[in-house]
Amino acid sequence: MLPASLTRQLAAIVGPDALSEETAPFAVHGRAPALVITPATVEDLARAVAACHAARVPLVPWGGGTRQRWGRPVAAETFVVLRTTGLRSILLHEPDDLTISVEAGMTFAALNAALAAHNQMLPLDPPRPEQSTVGGLLASGADGPRRLAYGTSRDLLIGIRVVEATGRISKAGGMVVKNVSGFDMMKLYLGSLGTLAIIVSANFKLIPRPRAAASLSCFFAQPERAFRLITALSASQLTPAAVEYREDGAAASIEARIEGLPAAVERHVRDVRRMAEEAGAGAVSLAAEGFAEVERRWAGFNDAPQTVDLAADELVARLSCLPGALEAALGDARALAAREGLALRVQARALGGVAYLRLRGGDEALRAWHAAMLARWPHLVVIGAQPALAAELPVWGAALANLDLMRRIKQEFDPENLLNPGRYVV
Amino acid sequence: MNRSQLIEELRRIVGPAGVVADPVALMTYDADGCVMDTGEPQVVVLPASAEQVSGVVRLASRYGVPIVPRGAGTGLSGGATPIGGGIVVSTARMDRVLEIDARNGRALCQPGVINWELSQAVRPYGYQFAPDPSSQKACTVGGNIANNAGGPHCLKYGTTASHVLGVQMVLPDGSIIWTGDGNPAPVGYDLTGVITGSEGTIGLVTAAWLKLTRLPEAVRVVLALFPDIAGASASVSQVIASGFLPAALEIMDRLAIKAVNDMYRLGLPEQAGAALLIEVDGVDDGLDELLADMTTVCWRNGALDVRPARTPAEQNQVWAARKNAFGAMGRLAPTYYLVDTVVPRTRLPYTMEQVGRISQEHRLPIANVFHAGDGNLHPIILFDRRDRSQNQRALEAATAVMHVSIEQGGVISGEHGIGVEKQDYMTLLFSTEDLAAMAGLHQSFDPYDLFNPGKVFPKGRGCGELAALRRAGVAWSELKSR
Repeated sequence: MLPASLTRQLAAIVGPDALSEETAPFAVHGRAPALVITPATVEDLARAVAACHAARVPLVPWGGGTRQRWGRPVAAETFVVLRTTGLRSILLHEPDDLTISVEAGMTFAALNAALAAHNQMLPLDPPRPEQSTVGGLLASGADGPRRLAYGTSRDLLIGIRVVEATGRISKAGGMVVKNVSGFDMMKLYLGSLGTLAIIVSANFKLIPRPRAAASLSCFFAQPERAFRLITALSASQLTPAAVEYREDGAAASIEARIEGLPAAVERHVRDVRRMAEEAGAGAVSLAAEGFAEVERRWAGFNDAPQTVDLAADELVARLSCLPGALEAALGDARALAAREGLALRVQARALGGVAYLRLRGGDEALRAWHAAMLARWPHLVVIGAQPALAAELPVWGAALANLDLMRRIKQEFDPENLLNPGRYVV
Repeated sequence: MNRSQLIEELRRIVGPAGVVADPVALMTYDADGCVMDTGEPQVVVLPASAEQVSGVVRLASRYGVPIVPRGAGTGLSGGATPIGGGIVVSTARMDRVLEIDARNGRALCQPGVINWELSQAVRPYGYQFAPDPSSQKACTVGGNIANNAGGPHCLKYGTTASHVLGVQMVLPDGSIIWTGDGNPAPVGYDLTGVITGSEGTIGLVTAAWLKLTRLPEAVRVVLALFPDIAGASASVSQVIASGFLPAALEIMDRLAIKAVNDMYRLGLPEQAGAALLIEVDGVDDGLDELLADMTTVCWRNGALDVRPARTPAEQNQVWAARKNAFGAMGRLAPTYYLVDTVVPRTRLPYTMEQVGRISQEHRLPIANVFHAGDGNLHPIILFDRRDRSQNQRALEAATAVMHVSIEQGGVISGEHGIGVEKQDYMTLLFSTEDLAAMAGLHQSFDPYDLFNPGKVFPKGRGCGELAALRRAGVAWSELKSR
């Protein structure tokens, strides 16, 4: 139960319309918050955080809610969900500088639409872009297929503004593409799941839309052949924007997304086709041409990491390993799934070493698969599971190092443990 | 403890050859490439391993002697200058590339490895280390990590932060940790990200997994000559705004051209007021078309001439001139002060105009050699250090450049770091809250201010004090008034 005085205070800060006791849709791992607030300005949000801090009431920052299955349950009886979706403006877009500053609650669909008008893009490609927010993507550190060519948010973020646990507002970075003025606080907030501060706005460097684009689909009867192509690509001087490996049942495919100058795209299509055939592809087809068509095609299978819609018997895991170990890791995932009688679907950033695994089957089988897989591949993170399973599994994997130092950081930034308590690694 | 005891103990840890205590030899270590401040170290140690670094740190921690890390000393913000004395820990003896893992595109290096030598070592495998500061033939990867170093090719490939996969570092209590190994989706707070650019204040890097970048299939370089810097700056702004993705866009102005012409016999026409070096790379296909489009922009902005550097030898000559331009300044003046700021790229033409004005107002010549594509300025203020008035005017001119950069929406350092040179300008850019958050991070690692104390944070606003303000909940002004 929330103290009534806090509810009144929050209503006064954010306005009665921005406060809701319809909390069921905002349950975290099956537990609903006491209250949901949606501040309309950064200042209101900061005041609300300060009020919760004074009352020692924990907060769960919430963007589009597309990755709230990540992490562990909230380590508190009572908590408030703080939505950022009231903050959805473009603060500053300098098209000729290729930089933009946006509020954290803006969705990727809205952001991409604004950028498209200027022939620009922010190629972070989260699943469910119409729901996924900028702040949520940064807080979760989610990656997209095109990290291969353009990097992740870690490489594209140039400035940030946060509200700290006490309600203080601070910023880091700026609106320029190169900056070593003081510590890089951005890296601290990125991927820390809102446990150190709440991201309220972010500045990015933008990428011009490529003049040409194509997507090539290569089908393989066996995964080994697909990996022959992956090995050849990684040893080449080609520069594809993304190379995704997909496996569902026995068949494997590789989709290469190519972006750049028209002549360079043609050359890539030619070379990747030849390399795929040499690797023993059963079929190679030019699946999409032109930026818009390629975007549409990739949006169609970018849902592999999504955890919004989860079947009752489904578990979604993110596996991370060195690129050269991906084949072996996926081989283990496959063999263990077969042993446990689980259905397995895989989508991997083939040249990077990040794979998303979707498994379906009984809880016992999922538990057994997870334990055996984790013993071999410590960087295995469960990002989607039914609440009971998520609560009992070591969802952050077995490769957690330097926890003492991380606890000190958490202690320094959130001594009362009020920001997403218990959900991340410390 | 007295100095001789300290030296004795240090010798026990690193061996007699690893300690520099001779007063004359110590003078070598009183500054880095930033000549405005100097300080005398009590002693210099040259450990050969992480374990030895740990031993030195434990000793320093026990006796409360500050530690100042030092790579090659090419830094330009006084980051390696022992302003408060203490023990300088040099990485000079930790200079080995320990492993090249070509399959995974990474290399394990000790911090004293020279940037250029790493690129040479990985070349046979078809790789390069992309960050390429102008001092790359001397500077170390440890120093690159400390200052999140840049260089011309950061325009396309990103600064050092994007190329560090994980580090081994020694914390102030002497413990040795690894922050990552190249695993692409690590879990936990991004310690690798925060150590990069932290200027040796929170941990001493003793090894690093660095990301390697495939050598491009093809490279094209042209040098576009302009009557003045305005045309060159406008070309850069337009090239960026048009959505081209060059590998590098570098500008040299008239004074810089004069210096490198004399030194490298480039044979550039004397009437050229600015040279714009454009490099594109990638697969061969389409590069000529891309270059043609960019040179069209140059012609439109009044270029006098566009000269392609076709062979690798010609390209190397152009790049050597660009990268050694700072050295060539010795032909123009006894001393120079190299300023490092960044502005949004559209503000480049106006900012360069202002730099010209500042040069006139302070009656000192200013040469410009800079990473235009990133908006990263490097005005080089030429003066004679022995002349007190010139000294003063040089400092004032540098301050004026910083003010203009901030007014234009820019920042006070793009790649050199804050060190001691710019610590007092931090308040122009950051609020007390912003600095307090940085102090909070610092305190999590180094609560007793053992590593490189007195740097980065403004004088009189030390990180300990800022962090204490934070902890005391010295409130956000809005709340105080309620």
